Amino acid sequence: MIWFRQRPSRRREPAPPAPLPGADTEFATELRTPAVTQPAAPAAPVPELPRRYGEDRLVLLARDPHWLFAYWEISATKQEEFSARYGPEAWRSSRPFLRLYDVTGIEFQGNNANTYVDIAINDESDNWYLEVGQPNRTFCVDLGRVLPTGHFVTLLRSNLAHTPRASLSECCDEEWMWLEGIYRSFGYQFGVSSPLLIEEVSARMGREVVPVGIASPVFLPPQPVNRN
Amino acid sequence: MAKGYLALVLHAHLPFVRHPEHRYSLEEKWFYEAVTECYIPLIWTFERLVRDGVKFRLTLSLSPPLLTMFGDPFLQERYLNHLHKLIELADKEAHRTAGTPFAEPARMYQERFRGALHTFNAHGKNLINAFKAFQDAGCLEIITCAATHGYLPLLYVNPAAVRAQIKLAVDLYRKHFGCNPAGFWLPECAYVPGIDRYLKNSGVKYFFTDTHGVLFASHRPRFGVFAPIFCPSGVAAFGRDVESSRQVWSAKEGYPGDFDYREYYRDIGFDLDLEYIRDYIHPDGIRIHTGLKYYRITGKTDHKEPYVPAWATEKAAVHAGNFMFNREHQIRYLHRFMDRPPLIVAPYDAELFGHWWFEGPQWLDFLIRKIVYDQDMIELITPGDYLRRHPCNQVATPCASSWGNKGYHEVWLCGANDWIYRHLHWAADRMVEVSRRFPDSTGMLRRALNQAARELLLAQASDWAFIMATGTMVDYAVRRFKSHMTNFVGIYRQIVENRLEDGWIEELESRHSIFPDIDYRVYAGR
Repeated sequence: MIWFRQRPSRRREPAPPAPLPGADTEFATELRTPAVTQPAAPAAPVPELPRRYGEDRLVLLARDPHWLFAYWEISATKQEEFSARYGPEAWRSSRPFLRLYDVTGIEFQGNNANTYVDIAINDESDNWYLEVGQPNRTFCVDLGRVLPTGHFVTLLRSNLAHTPRASLSECCDEEWMWLEGIYRSFGYQFGVSSPLLIEEVSARMGREVVPVGIASPVFLPPQPVNRN
Repeated sequence: MAKGYLALVLHAHLPFVRHPEHRYSLEEKWFYEAVTECYIPLIWTFERLVRDGVKFRLTLSLSPPLLTMFGDPFLQERYLNHLHKLIELADKEAHRTAGTPFAEPARMYQERFRGALHTFNAHGKNLINAFKAFQDAGCLEIITCAATHGYLPLLYVNPAAVRAQIKLAVDLYRKHFGCNPAGFWLPECAYVPGIDRYLKNSGVKYFFTDTHGVLFASHRPRFGVFAPIFCPSGVAAFGRDVESSRQVWSAKEGYPGDFDYREYYRDIGFDLDLEYIRDYIHPDGIRIHTGLKYYRITGKTDHKEPYVPAWATEKAAVHAGNFMFNREHQIRYLHRFMDRPPLIVAPYDAELFGHWWFEGPQWLDFLIRKIVYDQDMIELITPGDYLRRHPCNQVATPCASSWGNKGYHEVWLCGANDWIYRHLHWAADRMVEVSRRFPDSTGMLRRALNQAARELLLAQASDWAFIMATGTMVDYAVRRFKSHMTNFVGIYRQIVENRLEDGWIEELESRHSIFPDIDYRVYAGR
């Protein structure tokens, strides 16, 4: 979307034009004006969206290899069910938490997560960013309340979200496919890419994401290659 | 015999902006400017190459909103009005600047705008005709993009939303071009494993990712980004080459910053006396870009010298030569390591060419000629051609990624725009619900269901989230998002409460007229 991509380094108010040698005197009328890019908003009011849709919903999104984003809505019915089960005072006396499960590689049943961690939130929030710092893992989150007894009660459970990889894959065995789906195998070999590639990718993403130490695909001597 | 390939890919997209309810719309001007500055100059480049018998292959993605705007009679007429005003201004300017250093650029605009008018009319006011002719002539491989440029990984919570974004785009492409699109530009190169299955179901053969989308694929691709990989679904993923991108994109080292090139930020809409320019800027007297820019970048300070078209043309040729030299160097290096010719994929936003980088279309012209005539190391190719020549490729699952800042989804999911997703996800779920509930609707109910789908699609455009994140023109993006969502909520409630209001659906149909042939049941599939 380059249309909206300003070049900030050179974006400044236009200065008065320098007098030009031999320029027509008319150019003396050129004015200095601030760059106005945003005219007054049109008169019609912007419609406001519903704050809540009256549904139970907890959605988990992976933002990048290190962060997740969750948002939720709890219906009044759900809240009433909680109070009916744990007592009229239970909502006020309990505290809201997010329980973040690492469910990588398992079929999550609610009690078999690899690990989990509880994150205290507050009653005003309806969304949260979670720093997991773990690329290439699968997560699930529960929104729940911790009763004064310490018991965690799940109110809502999210979908699964998978954090993207932040580095080269450790899986180096190869599988090959013909365009129409006929498979054919080749011998094992590392990938090849230009040295600049790795530097560029790390620089742009602002982290040391490429574990060059593990198995650098760079600077490999030319090797004989299996031909079909 | 060429030792490697270069795939130049241009992605052309603007959000669907059409405001018949306003006499003047600043946002519609994005489209008019892009037509004059980018799309028509690119057509000129292709015309010159074809006229001179230059055999070239280039991939062009035309987004469905852009196709719709090209074909829309209302916007075509408004564009003509806009262009006539520009020609009037350029004529005045040619007179005013006579005998000054600005006479030459002023005359250049006079010619360009008249040329644009000629080209626009010659293709029956519909630029799709022009691009289709280049595809039919074997020069372009035109591909499509998601229906409203939805950011697919963040819509994928409801796969039906992704399926609709893909299927509607492919259907529209077939309607315009009479064949299936070979490839698909994922909006913002945003990929998450799984969405390729929906591409597969629509008959799409390939898509693009950013460099790390392929580089970080698993299993590890043997040839990095210099050969495509097949997703397990059988759809090919082509990864962007970093070096060729940086040469063109980088604000610091990139070609577009050359001191002889035209300065974008000095425009007579800001520079000239308000009374003189009043008829050609915003009707409320707000200064805006007119497109007439007389200065060259000159240097790093605010001091600017007049633009000299011949110098800029010369630089475009030099830069084309430099770009080609670097690709040759890359291919010479890479081909030693590979059992097949290395492929360099160089994708760019089409709007870079002509708008931000005024000389971009000229550069492309020089580059293509040089590759065709001046060397034998590189061959221009499209991904479709590549897959026909090299049908056996490694299988690996690309890494979730985008070409946005930091390489993942943060630009489209940050503090400035994260609030939109609870609405988008809710609406997609409700759309699926009503489309399953009313599989055989007729009359007004059917029209209401179709319009609900259009409003949802328009709200899903990645442009709104992007604009909110970048902080310019945020009001417009928020307004558009909320308006489409409010329309959706309203239509949904009227449908489920069985109380469709007279007149409202008709009004929305005429204003938000994207996908006239839509069938809402695209959301009903399982």
